[in-house]
Parts: sequence; structure tokens; C-alpha cells
Amino acid sequence: MKFLVNPNRFNSLTDLILKPLMLLSISLMVIGLIFAFFLSPDDYQQGSTVRIMYIHVPSAWLALMTYFIMSLYSIAALAFRIPFGFIVNTAVAPIGAIFTLICIITGSLWGKPMWGTWWVWDARLTSVAILFIIYLIIILINFSFENRLVREKIVAIFVLVGSVNLPIIKFSVDWWNTLHQTASISKLSSPNIDTAMLTPLIIMTLAFIFIGILIAILRIKTEIYIRKQST
Amino acid sequence: MINFLKKLIYFFYREYKLYLSGFHSVLTMITFFFVAIFTFIFSIGPKDEILSLLGVGIMWTLFLLSSTLSLRKYYQEDFENGNLVLLHLRGFSYELICILKTISHFIFVQIPFLIFLPIACILLSISIDKVYYIIISFFLGSIILSCLGSISSSMNLLNNRNYLIGSVIVIVFSIPVIIFSVGLIGQYDNFNSLINILFGILLITFAINPWASGACLKLAIENN
Repeated sequence: MKFLVNPNRFNSLTDLILKPLMLLSISLMVIGLIFAFFLSPDDYQQGSTVRIMYIHVPSAWLALMTYFIMSLYSIAALAFRIPFGFIVNTAVAPIGAIFTLICIITGSLWGKPMWGTWWVWDARLTSVAILFIIYLIIILINFSFENRLVREKIVAIFVLVGSVNLPIIKFSVDWWNTLHQTASISKLSSPNIDTAMLTPLIIMTLAFIFIGILIAILRIKTEIYIRKQST
Repeated sequence: MINFLKKLIYFFYREYKLYLSGFHSVLTMITFFFVAIFTFIFSIGPKDEILSLLGVGIMWTLFLLSSTLSLRKYYQEDFENGNLVLLHLRGFSYELICILKTISHFIFVQIPFLIFLPIACILLSISIDKVYYIIISFFLGSIILSCLGSISSSMNLLNNRNYLIGSVIVIVFSIPVIIFSVGLIGQYDNFNSLINILFGILLITFAINPWASGACLKLAIENN
């Protein structure tokens, strides 16, 4: 597992898996979209708009997952002095921001026909909007400092302070009485969703994860290259 | 122990002198607060019903904005003239410096604000029985704002390009504070539970603050 912390091993490993990963993610995306658009049934209440969920839910998961990975790498970088964590932090933040943006946009597209409004100020929506702003601030901090060594540590500290928001997002639907529905899929109980809808959701989630990993690998490789050039 | 207390007294005496000589900046913040309230009143019209409905929210927002004005004063001057290094050499750890700075910022910047709050309440025609709740919520909230300000201003010590990001950081993290402390004022039955939540936020920020801003101070001093 050394490739997770060592830039050289990361480079040599990802050179091998980059093309298979690309093929895998594209094919999964195509299969998932086919499933989502043609092979899955309409919801009895939501009609065809339920298909938005196949993009909305994976992107929301990935937005949280990206932040979680960033906070893990920040701990690794600050506590165990692993500089690869700083590289990951710098590279991955825009991906998380884009996933959060996709989540917000698809959610409001779904909300207009279903709830009758583009946006409500309930706890889940607000906390996700805050997550988006936190991602933006991370990106902005990356542009702010002249000294790179200072900047990346500041980013790591900020990521750790901002990770207070993660449990708030996750449990907001349970703690408060929100318009946003509670989680349908959790490990503790059997999924609250039919198999015909669960299959495209899982395929789309895998596709999103692989695409996220793919873009992350490309960005991390670029970041490593930039740092090698500058030193 | 006595030595430590002497150091503390010395520290606060110094802070007192500094803030007293720079008291015009605190006055500027308070003036900003009142001028902003005036502009709000002019823009939404001086009707009593609307003002008493929106008043608490307006006050909280402007309080937050004007407390971000003082961020630059927090560590920057001491950092630039080398006093932070001297304090550290005198035996203050970075975390202790952060805690003391937060306390002194609260005493010398936020307390003058709290004194002027009832006047703002009169201007916004908030009924007199609400003022008690407003003072409590602003008292707790201003400590939280001091902690957040410490975090963000210590993050931006070496930031010469984009200092405004510090204000954005404070505003983002103070969103839960605003939600709970404005919610506290309207509801008399839920008062206890809401004040517990606010107090919990206060303890969390007070716990995170020395750790985060201490790390940032150390970083800034080592890389300067």
C-alpha cells in the first residue's frame, strides 16, 4: 500500500492502471446511463424525475467521500509528516467542489417539479451549500500564499477544522425535521429501495467513483510533476 | 506558579496598553456597526413592525461583519514587530498565546460592543423584554467569534496576496452560531435547549482554537 503515500510508487503504479481505469469508468458510465434511462422503471409518485437520483446520489456521496479522504490525508500530512498528503489536498479539492456543484444543481432540478421550489433552507441543503463554500475557500487558499510550504499546511489545517461539517451533513436528516428525505441505503438495515432502482444506482456510483479516481490520478500526477519542476 | 501568574498579569497589562492606545480602531468598528444599521433602516424603511421582525437578524449580521474588521489587528502587529517570538521565548507556548489573545480580544474588543448593543436595540425598536436574551446570545456568540477570528487571522499571517479570505473563513464557520443565537431570541420555551447547543458550539470552538491557531502561529513564525 506504499503507493498511497509515496509519489514515485504512485506514479509507476498509476501509469499501469490509467488506461484500464479509463476504459472501465467509461464503460460503467455508459452501462449505468443506459440502465438509468431505459432499463429502470418510473417511480409511482415521482415519474421520470426519479432518474435524476442516479446522478444526484452518487455525486453527493462522492462529495462527502472526497472531503473525508482529504481530511484523512491532512491528518497523515500534519501528524506523520507525509508530504504526499499535501499533494492530494491540492489536487483533489476542485474535484470535490465539482461533485458538490453537480449534487446541488441536480438536486434543485429535481426539487422544482417535486417540492415546487428550486431551493429551501433546510438543514441538509444548507450544510451541503456550506460544504461547497468550504471547497471554494480551500481552492482560494491555494491561490493565496506565496510560500508553498506554508500554504499547503494552512490548507491541511483548514480542511481539518472544516471537517466539523461532515457529520452535520450526514446526520442532518436524522437530527432535524427536514424536507430532504432520510437515507434510503445504510449498512445497518436492508436497503429501502427496489432492486430495479438499486442496480443502476450502484452501477452509477461505481462509475462516479472510478471517474473521480481517474481525474484525481491525473491531477495528482500533474501536481507531482509541477513540484518536481519547481524544486 | 507565582511566576506564571506574574507573566499572565504582564501579558494582560501589555494587551490593555496596546488596545488602549489603539482604541480608535475599536471605536471605528462600533461606528461601522451603527452606520451599517442606519443604512439598513434607510433601505428597508423605518416601519416599526418590519424593524422589530428583522432587527435581531440585522444586528447579528452586522455584528459579525464588523467583528471581521478587527481580524487584521489580532496577531498581525505583534507578528510583524516580533513580539510573538519574544513571548514564545519568554516561555509562553503557542497554544497559551492563542488562548490569552482570544480572551484579551474578547475583553477589549467585544465587551465594548456589548455595551453599545442596547442602543442598537432601541434604534431597531426591539421590545425591552427581548434585550435580556439578546445580551446573553451576543455574549456567548462574541466569545465564539473571538475564537474563530483567532483561527482565521493566524491562518493568514503570511498571506500577502489575498487577505480577504480571512473574513470569509470567519463568516462560513459562524453560520451555525448565527442560526442558533438568532433562533434563541424568538423562542422563550425552547430557550434552555438552544442555549445548551450554543454553549456546546462555544466549547467546541474554544477547544479547537488553541490547537489550530497554535499550529498556524508556529508555521508562520518558522517560515517567516
